[in-house]
Amino acid sequence: MNLLKIGRLGEEIAKKYLQANRYAIIEQNYRTRRAEIDLIALYKGILIFIEVRTKRDERFGIPEESLNRKKRIKLVGNAKAYIARKRWQKAYRIDAICIVLDNNYQLKRFNHHKNITF
Amino acid sequence: MLVKVLSASISGLATIGVDVEVNVASRGLPAFEVVGLPSKTVDESKERVKTAIVNSNIEFPARRIIVNLAPGDVPKQGSFYDLPIAVGILAAVIQFKIPKNSLFFGELSLDGTLRHTKGALLLALFAKEKGLKRIFVPRSCANEAAVIEGVDVYPIDSLNQLIGYFLEHIDIKTAKVSQVNKKIPIVQPEFDMAEILGQEQAKRAMEIAAAGGHNLFMCGSPGSGKTMLARALQGILPMLIGGEQLGVTKIYSAAGRIPPEGSLIKIRPFRSPHHTISQVGLIGGGSRPQPGEVSLAHRGILFLDEFNEFPRSVLEALRQPAEDGWVSISRSKERVRYPCEFMLIASANPCPCGYLHHPKKPCACTQREIEKYRKKVSGPILDRIDLHVDVPAVDIKEFSGNEQLKTNLETSEQIQKRVVLARKLQQERFAKEDVYTNSEMKNSHIKKYCILSKEVKQLLRRAGVAFQLSARSYFKMIKVSRTIADLEGAQEINASHMAESLQYRPKAQIKDL
Repeated sequence: MNLLKIGRLGEEIAKKYLQANRYAIIEQNYRTRRAEIDLIALYKGILIFIEVRTKRDERFGIPEESLNRKKRIKLVGNAKAYIARKRWQKAYRIDAICIVLDNNYQLKRFNHHKNITF
Repeated sequence: MLVKVLSASISGLATIGVDVEVNVASRGLPAFEVVGLPSKTVDESKERVKTAIVNSNIEFPARRIIVNLAPGDVPKQGSFYDLPIAVGILAAVIQFKIPKNSLFFGELSLDGTLRHTKGALLLALFAKEKGLKRIFVPRSCANEAAVIEGVDVYPIDSLNQLIGYFLEHIDIKTAKVSQVNKKIPIVQPEFDMAEILGQEQAKRAMEIAAAGGHNLFMCGSPGSGKTMLARALQGILPMLIGGEQLGVTKIYSAAGRIPPEGSLIKIRPFRSPHHTISQVGLIGGGSRPQPGEVSLAHRGILFLDEFNEFPRSVLEALRQPAEDGWVSISRSKERVRYPCEFMLIASANPCPCGYLHHPKKPCACTQREIEKYRKKVSGPILDRIDLHVDVPAVDIKEFSGNEQLKTNLETSEQIQKRVVLARKLQQERFAKEDVYTNSEMKNSHIKKYCILSKEVKQLLRRAGVAFQLSARSYFKMIKVSRTIADLEGAQEINASHMAESLQYRPKAQIKDL
């Protein structure tokens, strides 16, 4: 299974989790001119942008590590581009879902970090 | 989970307590931040702590770690926050209790061992003042910290050893002063007084300077032995006594000049900076003020060779510290006060070519050149020097082949014995005062301890008029004669003591008499 497929697998796991928790999924893999937003959901009137990070092995760094300052700034930029286009004027938030899979592609760890750009 | 670890912050020789608060949160993206005005060295400790914990075979928590160094408005400096931060994180992760009243101090190496860190003595002093019972320091700093009695000093080798102590109660032997005292290195000075031929007057002046802690100015031709004399002076000084030792060690601890395993400094420092020294280098300074040469020479010798070659501004900066025995350095970020009770030993040539007043060689300087050379050292500086002495060129013929003369010379050890006796007298005299030597006497002390007979007073008055002595020099004369009397073991200052002290006025003045 290649990297792209692992990423898609992680996104599916995240989507299921969100739906089970009453998040209404609005978009999946929404493309702006520069980048892609993994998931956009609506929950209690708040627009939530979700970045999904999936890793198969934690030896070469944990998924959270890749969410550095630079990446977070990028996520904010993407979110702003989206709300500008859709003229969304209410609250929004950026979350991250970090997923670690084991060698058999089974879920090993799942973390939902809320409001990571606060 | 929130853990509090005690440490301290050093500013000059002063310390204030710092609470190292470590919070390892269970929510949020993993992060490791230090707040509370950390300097670059403190901020870098994040990387050292992280790697040291990983290399101690403990998993570093991938959680949100916030370290707060409280109080938040005091800038923190130094690499010694590594240990308290690491201990805080480990206590939160492995869940052990940190005993109350414990202070932590030390820089971590990437492999989890502890490195020698400056300032251990100041931290131990702080612990004692605040009634803290334990202090955990790197092993190489233990001797330094153990000087302070009443605080248990735990020498730490590595993080794993510390964890073993907290979790499994594997005992750590505390460092004791008694063990430290056994290892006193005896430093042999470069020259012995017996190696210096002739110069009897200069040697006598050295003895007086050593006995009373007086400033001394030597003037003489090149090669006459000025530098040798100054270096030999170290050998006739007594060792540092109790209170002095702590005072000197504090400065060296703050400056990070105590070597690993080092302890109390017992030998009087000898500092001889080159004349290209800057004002900050001599007096102390920097945006976070460091002690300068004057403070490093505290209770010892500050030897300024080629006195006239020093930049004028540097010499003028010596005025207040030389007189008061302390220097207060104010910068925008910090104000500190360092003690600097030093003996100033200065040496210079009489003129640019060096051969003025030389018995054989002619002086090649013009009057103008000589005046210009002399003007480099200002009156206020010369006025602060108690003893002026000429070191004339030595006639080689007089000494070569004259073995008897060589064997008759006094050794440093013999002179030192007399100096020690004179210092003992001063110690007894000033037992209830906060001064140690005659040169430190304030006017009130002089009134109390230097009662002059009518005859001596008259002599001094006559000299005062003839030499046009300033009020300061007037009192300096009394101080010097007090020392001469002490060397003789005399209770009172008599006319011959005073007459000798008058011998050590600048030569120009003596000629006028």
